[in-house]
Amino acid sequence: MRNTILEVRDLRTKYITRFREDIYAVDGVSLKIEEGKSLGVAGESGCGKSTLALSLMGYYFPPLHYTSGDIIVNGRNITALDPDTTRKNVLGKEVAYIPQAAMNALNPTRRIIKFIQDVIKAHIPEMSKQEVRELATERFRILGLPEKVLDQYAVELSGGMKQRTVIAISTILSPKVLIADEPSSALDVTSQKMVIKMLRDLMEKGYIKSMIFITHELPLLYNVTDDIMVMYAGQIVERGSAKDMVFDPKHPYSKGLMGSIIVPEPGTRELELVAIPGTPPNLKNPPKGCRFAPRCKYAEDECLLHEIKMKTFGEGREYRCKFSIDYLTEKYNNGKS
Amino acid sequence: MKHLLQQILQSGKFLTGFIIFLFILLLMIFYPMINPGDPLQTISIGTFAPPGTYVSMYDALDTELNVFKLDNAALNRLDSVLKPEDRVEMIMWFESAGVKVDVTLNDTEALLAAWNEYYDSSIQPSGMTKAKRNYYKRLNDNITRMLATIPKVIAKISEESGELVEVRQIKSTDYINTNKVANVFNLPLGTDNFGRNVLKELASAIKTSLLIGLIAGSVATLIGLTLGLVAGFLGGLIDDFIMFITNIFTVIPSFVLLILISYSIGQEQRGAATVAVVIGLTSWIWTARAVRSQVISLRNRDHVNLSKLSGHSFFRIMVADILPYIASYVVMALILQISAAILAEAQLSMLGLGPKTTEVPTLGLMMKWSMLYSAHLNGYWWSYFPVILTIALISFSLNLMNTGLDQVFNPTLRD
Amino acid sequence: MSGYRKYFTKKILWFAVTFIVAVLLNFILPRLMPGDPVAVIVSKNAQGMSESTAVIEMYKQYAEEFGVNDPMIVQFFTYFKNALRGDFGVSFSQYPRKVSNIISEAVWWTVGLQLPAIIFGWLIGNILGALAAYLKKGFDKVLMPVSLFLSSIPAFGMAVILLVLFAVKLEIAPTSGGYGFDMIPNFSWSFIRSIISHYQLPFWSIVIYIIGGQALGMRSMSIYELNADYVKYSRFLGIKDKKIVSYVFRNAMLPQITGLALSLGVMIGGALVAEIIFSYPGLGTTLLAAITMADYPLLSATTLIITMMVLITTFAIDFVYGVVDPRVKAAQIDS
Repeated sequence: MRNTILEVRDLRTKYITRFREDIYAVDGVSLKIEEGKSLGVAGESGCGKSTLALSLMGYYFPPLHYTSGDIIVNGRNITALDPDTTRKNVLGKEVAYIPQAAMNALNPTRRIIKFIQDVIKAHIPEMSKQEVRELATERFRILGLPEKVLDQYAVELSGGMKQRTVIAISTILSPKVLIADEPSSALDVTSQKMVIKMLRDLMEKGYIKSMIFITHELPLLYNVTDDIMVMYAGQIVERGSAKDMVFDPKHPYSKGLMGSIIVPEPGTRELELVAIPGTPPNLKNPPKGCRFAPRCKYAEDECLLHEIKMKTFGEGREYRCKFSIDYLTEKYNNGKS
Repeated sequence: MKHLLQQILQSGKFLTGFIIFLFILLLMIFYPMINPGDPLQTISIGTFAPPGTYVSMYDALDTELNVFKLDNAALNRLDSVLKPEDRVEMIMWFESAGVKVDVTLNDTEALLAAWNEYYDSSIQPSGMTKAKRNYYKRLNDNITRMLATIPKVIAKISEESGELVEVRQIKSTDYINTNKVANVFNLPLGTDNFGRNVLKELASAIKTSLLIGLIAGSVATLIGLTLGLVAGFLGGLIDDFIMFITNIFTVIPSFVLLILISYSIGQEQRGAATVAVVIGLTSWIWTARAVRSQVISLRNRDHVNLSKLSGHSFFRIMVADILPYIASYVVMALILQISAAILAEAQLSMLGLGPKTTEVPTLGLMMKWSMLYSAHLNGYWWSYFPVILTIALISFSLNLMNTGLDQVFNPTLRD
Repeated sequence: MSGYRKYFTKKILWFAVTFIVAVLLNFILPRLMPGDPVAVIVSKNAQGMSESTAVIEMYKQYAEEFGVNDPMIVQFFTYFKNALRGDFGVSFSQYPRKVSNIISEAVWWTVGLQLPAIIFGWLIGNILGALAAYLKKGFDKVLMPVSLFLSSIPAFGMAVILLVLFAVKLEIAPTSGGYGFDMIPNFSWSFIRSIISHYQLPFWSIVIYIIGGQALGMRSMSIYELNADYVKYSRFLGIKDKKIVSYVFRNAMLPQITGLALSLGVMIGGALVAEIIFSYPGLGTTLLAAITMADYPLLSATTLIITMMVLITTFAIDFVYGVVDPRVKAAQIDS
């Protein structure tokens, strides 16, 4: 049995809007990651996956607020810590984050090395500037980034280079968990490949112990992560190994998500191309029963009545649907013929 | 569109600005209605009559009297004569005469009681100059006179004998009803250096200044819009040329150009409309820049490309595909131009380059004359302060409305 | 380094072009008016002159000075050459004083007054705007409308209000002039004290006039920056809020430098008119005198000097900005 690095129990966080409305964008999420493993999170935009990324940091500022649940990193519950302890001892050091829009993630008027110094100073104040530079230089060299980037400003870097620099900065303190929120979606194919390779390198060389990779492209996860979970309307609807999830999704939403990929990766091409009709629900007033029911082509009236719990099946798989696996499989097979 | 209007009307900033502006407009429209006539007409002989109600003394003398016995009449009379410095001097006299009294400056009654009790012109406190002693004597005489209730006599010169003939006696308890006096009028803001009714002049000046703002703003917006559209949409050499001109005039202060052009036109040719056009001609730069950058971001949108492929004319694409998208910016630019133009006119007038002075008043000209006659140094606040306040409020209300609009159109600025 | 070189070369080139256009406009605008400019000028000056020979003399003198008999282009080069040498001819109203003489006296009063006032007003305005954006709530709710109202009061209006309040009512400051009217400029303590006490009201009226607009600009700039992606990212890296706030204000402040350059013309224009209220012995008062006395050479030279002041300051600011903000350099490399 491997070490559990991150465990999340029934996490709920909400946005409070300008109009004082509560929006639960993460509504009872539980997950577990073991050392050396990576977890993919997939879902449409607006399903709460980016909020999940922010919520996992254990550090909240308006408009996002913590409501309930536990985040346990390496045996320590970080939701119980006071914000400044979290800032100093958890952020960047234990849980690190790669933002969605790396284009503007770096302060445009600060040299990269200065920024790295700021980061390290916030956690290890006793480290000298010289030591920081040595550390940064070595890390950049190992990760295949040119050393001269250190003395440049963010505005002078290309998009791909910026993203890789951001990854290097986020992992400079060798965090236990890396949360990458769509790190490659805004890049061209070559840069995307480099980013993915870099994340793999970080795992292999042990600079990060585990990773959560968030994307709306389900097939991409097949190549990157060990496990995949699919989110919908702030909840997890299905979880399983990457291979199972891509080739044999069970939940109607996961099924639809696979079908709606415009450029399928090899191996998924034979699947038919169907977009899921409609949009994710407004989380201000989520549907009472199954949240996906209003868009689900298999839904029955009863789906809307009761909240559905996660059910386990097969080898370490879970799904959130009223129907049995056999019933769903049969429906899918009928649909194909 | 309806939704947008609703949002604008819900913006507190816009609404506040709008209400202030409306108030100014109402003043501009209604005061001339209740007080018609030429705003530049001289009504007072002598300058800077203070604000207040004026009662014709001549007519008042013939008005029927009513008698009132009021306790505080004498005191009020004295209050209006006894200046603060006199009160200080009175207390100083007690001090130097060695009299112990406990009175405050504003307690006229107690002060007078003490004064009547202790003052004696024969006392010569040591160290008091003769001039000072005479001052106290005069002060005492004044007080005695004001407190006295001897009737005053109105007399007229007899046509036959040339002697004074008593017409009427007026006692301290006599009052007249102003409704019965033939000539009574109200000057809420007094008169200016030419003896004109300031409020009437102000209402007319607001109209002229707003008109100047509107003409100048329209000219500037029209030029800026045209240049911005052409430069942004056509690009290439035309864009380079227009930007070259625009960049130059961004740095050369329009204030200087305004002075040079206005001076060249000469005093005789400078009507309010001319000044407005000149201001407009020198202030289109910002609109041109803003419109151009907006158009550049729009010109490769799908719907514009579609129109281009369909062979629509430049004019049609502008009107149908570009203008609707930048309309909000243009309106906001226009609002700012109007307030800037009103200010520009005021500054020009202060320099003596404003519109011809004989036809219409403007806010700038009113300010200019007021300063020229040193109203500010002599305490004639009614001739300049309302003008400053009006300029500030017009500008403030327009800016507020603009900020309100900006927040509706650019939601990121909301907090 | 090539980014910087490109930026500065471009700026210097712009300066040269703008300079020439400014001089050209100064030369040509008064000459565009219909009729004979010399006749107009002479007629303005000859009011009250009874002898026709004197008028004719005057006409000849100015025709000579203007070189109106030469072609326009020759006139321009003569004007340009003279302007470069600082030779603007002789003043009509203060005959026989040289215009350059009058200007060189006035210009230092204006520079000494406006430069510190504008810089100070800019700084205070930016600090207030940044605080409003950062503190929000109460402070912002008050500062925002107050700033908007302050920026709506014209500079001369502010000058009059301060003058009436502090000089006429409270009598704690003098009403007019640059120093006591009974003094002869020298380096004594009493003279310097007099200069300082005369300096206060004009200085503060310009400062207050500038604060409002700058505070508003900085406020929206800071709000924009506070919502930038790098703020969120820096927070999640565990960088302290104090440090992040310093990022935000630096990044918001830098564009405000360019903002200052762009609004300089308007600011100086407003401040010049405020000078008039105090009869401050600077260019504003000179301008008024030149216009009232129809002193054409003085007017022309004053406007040219004001333009030069704005040009030089604008380009100085642009240079500084190019050095301190790396975004400029990057933009140059991109284009």
